[in-house]
Amino acid sequence: MATETARRRNTLRNAAIFLVLWEVIGDLRLVADGALPSPSAILIALWRDLADYPPHILATFEGAFAGFVIGNLVAVLAGILFAVSPVAARLGRGLNIALFALPPIAISPILVLTFSGMTPRIVLAAIGCYFVTMSATITGISQTDRRMLDVVRAYGGSRWKELRLVEIRAALPAILAGLRVAAPAAVLGSILAEFGGGGRFGLGAYLIGSLGRADPGRLWGIGLAATGMALIAYGICALIEARITHSTRAVNIAATAPGEERETRPVTDTLIALGSFALPFAIWWLLLKLMGTPEMIAKTPAGVVDYLFLAPSAPGAQSRLLAALAETLPMTIIGMAAGLAFAFLLALASVVRPGIVRGFMPIALVTQTMPLVALTPLLVLMLGRGPSVILWITISVTFFPAFVTLAQGLSMVTRGALDVVKAYGASPMTQLRLVSIPASLPWLFTATRLAVPRALLGVMIAEWLATGTGLGNLLNQSRGYLDYGMIWTVAVASVLLAVIFYQIVLIIERRVLRSYGMRPAD
Amino acid sequence: MSDSSGIRLENVSRAFKGRDTIVQALDNVSLDCPAGSFTALIGPSGCGKSTMLRLALGLDRPDSGTITVSGRDPAEAARAGLTGVAFQDAALMPWRNVADNIALPLDVLGRKRAEHAGTITDLIELVGLTGFEKALPGELSGGMRQRVAIARSLVTSPQVLFLDEPFGALDQILRRQMNLELQRIWIKSRATTLLVTHGIDEAVFLADRVVVMQSRPGRIGRVVDIPLERPRRPEIFTAPEFHALQDEVAEALDGH
Repeated sequence: MATETARRRNTLRNAAIFLVLWEVIGDLRLVADGALPSPSAILIALWRDLADYPPHILATFEGAFAGFVIGNLVAVLAGILFAVSPVAARLGRGLNIALFALPPIAISPILVLTFSGMTPRIVLAAIGCYFVTMSATITGISQTDRRMLDVVRAYGGSRWKELRLVEIRAALPAILAGLRVAAPAAVLGSILAEFGGGGRFGLGAYLIGSLGRADPGRLWGIGLAATGMALIAYGICALIEARITHSTRAVNIAATAPGEERETRPVTDTLIALGSFALPFAIWWLLLKLMGTPEMIAKTPAGVVDYLFLAPSAPGAQSRLLAALAETLPMTIIGMAAGLAFAFLLALASVVRPGIVRGFMPIALVTQTMPLVALTPLLVLMLGRGPSVILWITISVTFFPAFVTLAQGLSMVTRGALDVVKAYGASPMTQLRLVSIPASLPWLFTATRLAVPRALLGVMIAEWLATGTGLGNLLNQSRGYLDYGMIWTVAVASVLLAVIFYQIVLIIERRVLRSYGMRPAD
Repeated sequence: MSDSSGIRLENVSRAFKGRDTIVQALDNVSLDCPAGSFTALIGPSGCGKSTMLRLALGLDRPDSGTITVSGRDPAEAARAGLTGVAFQDAALMPWRNVADNIALPLDVLGRKRAEHAGTITDLIELVGLTGFEKALPGELSGGMRQRVAIARSLVTSPQVLFLDEPFGALDQILRRQMNLELQRIWIKSRATTLLVTHGIDEAVFLADRVVVMQSRPGRIGRVVDIPLERPRRPEIFTAPEFHALQDEVAEALDGH
């Protein structure tokens, strides 16, 4: 108890020192000629703009809340379906990976084109929630104590009885934990959809509108408001969770789509794999047909192929896309690698010096729930519009989730394994080399899979808002030129890119882990 | 009670495939537990005792051979509510209180709980948990949880009772107490009982006969009859004839 209060006091003291330093730096205009205003200046700007905020916050909340409800409802139902039916899980795999990996900003413009009003925000917020809650539901159900199921089965209980009496209730803590993580994602989704246009109100719209004005105080204020919203959403869900389950549990966002590794039956397996690949395209096509959006604006898969390969303008479109890819790809890879490397090193350092985690974890957890869009304009202000801003944004969005995952993984290294080498007098470095590093391999891969979509999102947001290069800029430009074909093409290309990245990591992961006789984490 | 409420296994085999090994969990096993009898299964780990129980509960299917419980297919007997079961580690649902956990089989079988309210109260009294009806499993001691599991296994008034190491997780002292209670409960209910256990003294104390199993492949080694009179008192644990029977079972376990 005493250490607990001491730790809390330390955290408070560190925060106080941090704030005072920030105030001094801000007041003296030490960073990029006042791009980093002092906390007091930010609060003053917030107070000045106070009257502007309510409609924006309300609009973002409306989209985020509706998306949260719809997305999670679909996610829980889908999770139950996938947990019950392995075939459904394998068929849905392609769709799940696509929804996990897609950079929300890439499809934000096409949502704005296809839907109207609040719908784009709701859809993007729902997509932000879907994967987290869906995989939490599956994890919860599949981790149900087998013995409880045996009791139900021993009385001849049907599959439905097992679900109703045991599994859904047993999965509740996992589902609630999923909702908690999904809540800030819904806020982020809504804000990103506002970037795509459509609607005067919303924090995202406000942010875009304020970008041109040299008013760092206001940008910081908007960032603060967005972060506050995400944190409040997280907090409310955590409260509900604590009330229902009397505990909040740590969440690892699962980065594995369900539906893997069964006994192999070549023909059926190939068919299911093909179906799983085709399903997202089929849904895309079907949705457009059902909504009857004009073909000029809403491109079907065939429309995109036509635009990119068959139409007279195809060569031009191809070269623009390739040029953008050539700018975006290296940045994504470098940024992701750097973010992961920092995270890995810091996580390892925290094994040798556990104090680092204790001091750092609260900040890392807060930033994990912070919408990264809130960060971007601020980094732009501080770092200018060169390529370095892309790298910093990408590193900052990949670093925190990777660090949290790796630190959790390393803390789960069994005491016993460490004690064996310690008993032979191993130094901390030897312990790292012989036990901690090999044991953290599965977590490193999980962190990488988590980082893939975030890195691409980070790069594209930076390109869109700051540097005017790459896929992000191509998307933004095409919006301005009403080049619908290119908008759809960029969206599809970036989703495919994320999925391909993800699959490559997955293949390497399987190879490596198998050769070490390990299983994927989560 | 007619003869049909017994458990019968005929030439039952069950194998499990590993990565590149096949484990013959049960190899051509036959066993007949007459109605109203108490049979204990004992044997080293991996001799197939739990497999046998899972087959008789309808949780698993044999590769060959037939199993009947009360003259029916095991899954059918389970759906008809003829069987009761208690597992090792109680396997209670942490979100259900004591009364609700005991009532679980009724929910599974789709029976009205209101009609069995008296039974539940009686069972709670029988296992000595009166006053704890509303307690959650997390608030109970290990022994109390195990007693809830026993009460749950009896709530359907089963003709056939399966007990899978129900006291395996308890310490020796508590285990003795629970053995005495189980005997008391069994004498009242007279259900055909199959007990899987690791404890020689527990098997000899409770059963009419002890079936000693051997592993690789899983099979029945010997059947030791226990002709001790009932009700058996705690003093019997120190009696010479009890020790003689224990030694006989131990020898059979060693493969003699």
